[in-house]
Amino acid sequence: MGRTKKEELLLGTLDMLILRTLVTGPAHGHTIAHVIEHTSDEVLQVEQGSLYPALHRLEDRGWVSSYWGPSENNRKARYYKLTAAGRKRLTVETNRWESMVEAIGRVLGNAGRVVD
Amino acid sequence: MSLRRYLRRQQWDEERARELEEHLSQETADNIACGMTPQEARRRAYMKLGNPTTIREEIWKMNSLVSVEDLGRDMRYAVRQLWMNPGFAAIAIVTLALGIGVNTAVFSMVNGLLFSSLHIEHEQRVVEMGLRQNGANWQPQLSVPEYQSLEGQTRGVFSAVFADQYGLDGMTTAGNQPDRLFTDYVSGNYFDALGVKPALGRFFKPTEGETPGADPYVVLSYAYWSEHFGKDPSVVGRQIALDGKPVTIIGVTPKNYRGLSSILNAQAYLPMAMIVTIENTPLADFNKQSNRSLHIYGRLRDGATRQQADAALTVTARDLARDHPVEERKTELRAFSLLSGRLTGSLDQDNSFATVSAIFLGLSALVLLLACVNVANLLLVRATVREREMVIRSALGAARFRLIRQMLTESVLLAVLGGLGGIALGLVGTRFLTSINLQTDLPLAFDFSLDWHVLAFSAAIAVAAGAVVGIVPAVRLARANLNLVLREGGRGIASRGHRLRDTLVTVQVSAALTLLIIAGLFTRSLEQSEHADLGFNPDNVVTMMMDPGEIGYDSARSLEYYREMLPRVRSLPGVVSATVAQSIPMGLIDNSSDTVTIEGYTPPTGQSQPTIGNNFIGTDYFETLQIPVLEGRSFRDSDDEKSPCVAIVSRAMVKKYWPNQDPIGRHFTMESDPAHPMQVVGVAADAHYDDLDHAAGAYFYAPYAQHHVNSLLALEVRTQGDPGAMAPAIERAIHTLTPGLPVFEVKTLHQALYSPNGLLLFQVVAGLAGVMGTLGLMLAIVGVYGVLSYVVSQKRGEIGVRMALGAQRGDILRLVYRQGLWIVGIGLAVGLAASFGAAHLVRSMIAVSSTDPLTYCGVSGILAAIALLACYVPARRAMYVEPMKALRE
Repeated sequence: MGRTKKEELLLGTLDMLILRTLVTGPAHGHTIAHVIEHTSDEVLQVEQGSLYPALHRLEDRGWVSSYWGPSENNRKARYYKLTAAGRKRLTVETNRWESMVEAIGRVLGNAGRVVD
Repeated sequence: MSLRRYLRRQQWDEERARELEEHLSQETADNIACGMTPQEARRRAYMKLGNPTTIREEIWKMNSLVSVEDLGRDMRYAVRQLWMNPGFAAIAIVTLALGIGVNTAVFSMVNGLLFSSLHIEHEQRVVEMGLRQNGANWQPQLSVPEYQSLEGQTRGVFSAVFADQYGLDGMTTAGNQPDRLFTDYVSGNYFDALGVKPALGRFFKPTEGETPGADPYVVLSYAYWSEHFGKDPSVVGRQIALDGKPVTIIGVTPKNYRGLSSILNAQAYLPMAMIVTIENTPLADFNKQSNRSLHIYGRLRDGATRQQADAALTVTARDLARDHPVEERKTELRAFSLLSGRLTGSLDQDNSFATVSAIFLGLSALVLLLACVNVANLLLVRATVREREMVIRSALGAARFRLIRQMLTESVLLAVLGGLGGIALGLVGTRFLTSINLQTDLPLAFDFSLDWHVLAFSAAIAVAAGAVVGIVPAVRLARANLNLVLREGGRGIASRGHRLRDTLVTVQVSAALTLLIIAGLFTRSLEQSEHADLGFNPDNVVTMMMDPGEIGYDSARSLEYYREMLPRVRSLPGVVSATVAQSIPMGLIDNSSDTVTIEGYTPPTGQSQPTIGNNFIGTDYFETLQIPVLEGRSFRDSDDEKSPCVAIVSRAMVKKYWPNQDPIGRHFTMESDPAHPMQVVGVAADAHYDDLDHAAGAYFYAPYAQHHVNSLLALEVRTQGDPGAMAPAIERAIHTLTPGLPVFEVKTLHQALYSPNGLLLFQVVAGLAGVMGTLGLMLAIVGVYGVLSYVVSQKRGEIGVRMALGAQRGDILRLVYRQGLWIVGIGLAVGLAASFGAAHLVRSMIAVSSTDPLTYCGVSGILAAIALLACYVPARRAMYVEPMKALRE
């Protein structure tokens, strides 16, 4: 596939990434997948097969809402929009993610010293 | 997952399909823009997205109510499974149906006795007043003046206080024989207070029922109206005669209202004070402070509590005692809840119904337990057979949880089918219970029909039974190591299950023993009571009741009638002697008692004068019932209304009130007839009148001619031959004298003893317990037999080896029997302990000791013998195992 190193998405992070993508405005599934891949410099590979069930789940929980609108090539596409609850959720998820990254970083940092 | 999504998922799925299609076409367009050929672009897009159908399936699943769907699938599978094993299914369903059927029948009885609705407005806000004096039992009867005081003083807590009083009257319609009616004389506000609306015509006005003779109106019960008037709507306004007095029909009660007792159903309602006119009650008697024959009820005001009612009643009782120091000495009043199934007796003894109910619910629960154990055992055996299926399904990816649920679904399905069968059986059972002959012409009826209470109960126990029988194999499946089973070639689970199965059968044996011992104790009680010395000789006596008042005779003419009738009956061939009396032993009508003042006896301080049971009788009474007159003389024809009042007292009365003294010539006075002190002229041996179990208490007899006695009397005739066969001749003799006089309650004295006051309870209880005991025995025997048969079939190999190594047939027999003996022995030991406990609970209801050795030994012996016989069949099969054949298998 030409690209060198692809990271599989960590379990549970897809929801967060979708919500983050929608902060800039409504988007349809195809756009969401591409935005995640491009903004991560193609490092994160969205499994498109799990994107739609994830969107469905988010909608079911009331974090996004959806509507049909015209797509770039003038066809109908399903757009997803962040709800207020979704915005709040994103903050929670982001905070949790950051504290986790920090914690893991500390653990790895210590380990690095021990190995050294 | 919401139901809304579940229902809308078809539409959702279509949207998803479009959305995914859109995604693919965009990706394809992007790829083409990157320079791919259209086919390559689309192929890449597909590869990147994955299979759209899989994605849709995933979303579809998210929208489904997984459990509901799986349940449907489990259910279909379960039905197929049962269909393919009709024998197993039939046995399991019939067994469960028996267990559930017994419970349904018993519960519908309990429901009918304790919980059935009276079909009145806000039933739980209506209370019944109870009165007691000297701390005796709470009685439901109060007097008219008490009713008036109570009504006046409790307005704060009751929005209505109303009353009724039962009567028996003869009704004549134009051109017909008089028909005897069970009547209810009610206060004018009775129906209004109950919130009952007439099916036809009107009910009484609040003022009707206050003045004797002022309101000659009658309301018919729906049942009587349909039976005797063919639901003719034109009866309203028609004039009929009650005891010869004209009354006008003004209305009909609604179909579902059958009075405040669901057992004793009044056939007509009259205004309360009309009883003075119709039954010739002297007004002074009617209005007497101590003439207590009214039932009084109150409807609690909104917000008023039972405690407040009791407080108001206590104040009323205190005022009564102050105003009437003699009649109301130590009177207490209290409110009781209405109990539809009450028949007779005092208010606080009603828990005997509750006790009987609890016992039977307990016994029937034991039967159900036995049934469940049998079915659980069957399922365990089947689980062995189905091990391979389970292993394969597990290997194909079925979660263990799903397998367990599948098993549970199957057992619940069994239970549901068993429950349906059980309800059908219960229906048969309740028909039988309803048809129990109460040996009376009174409109007494048990209504044990199935209502939604009963159906809900049956459904609940069916599901519980399903869960119980299913949980055992399911838990085993959950614990089993399926991979191990697969490797062992399908022998694994079952062979470790002996202990569980043995335990279950041990439980069965002990439960069956408990059932049988309880049944045995009741049967022995019945037998003992039947042969108990009652103090009179019930053989060869026929009794019948009549009331000349019903054809309009007044008291004097009634007296005259009896004087003429008796010699005619006595002169009939085959008649030894004949007499009349106000009540018959164990009868339901006119068992009277009175408070008496006894010459030479002062009650201990703080106690009022004693209340003593009595009977008003004719001459030849003691000869007819063969009650020995121990001292003095019996009554003569000369003891009539013109001569001085005399009485004959029982030995118990002498012992209690004139100990070590000669009672002859002494006097005592009834509170109801203070003007006529009675002189004791004789002492009779003690006889049982009210109940069989307790020692006969003090009692006295007086000539009916000397007191104002209701003209309703019982004729008692001792015959040479079969007393029942004499009845028609006696009735003919009566009817030549008074052609239209209704004669009722015609029965031999033996039959009369089987009344609700007498042996009936024992008879019903013993019969029911016997049925349950037999069922329990059958189920336990099937259990023992089943387990040993299974053990033998599993051990064929082992037995074959043993025999090949030289074991004798006797050794094999012992091998099998050892296990059977263990099961039966432990079951009996546990069962005996349980029986002692259960018997202790019912000790107040049985006439024999709760540790009656004969019952315990006999029943245990019989059960042990039958159980060991059940072991013999599989043991014999084991003995005749062909070693070579067994080893080759």
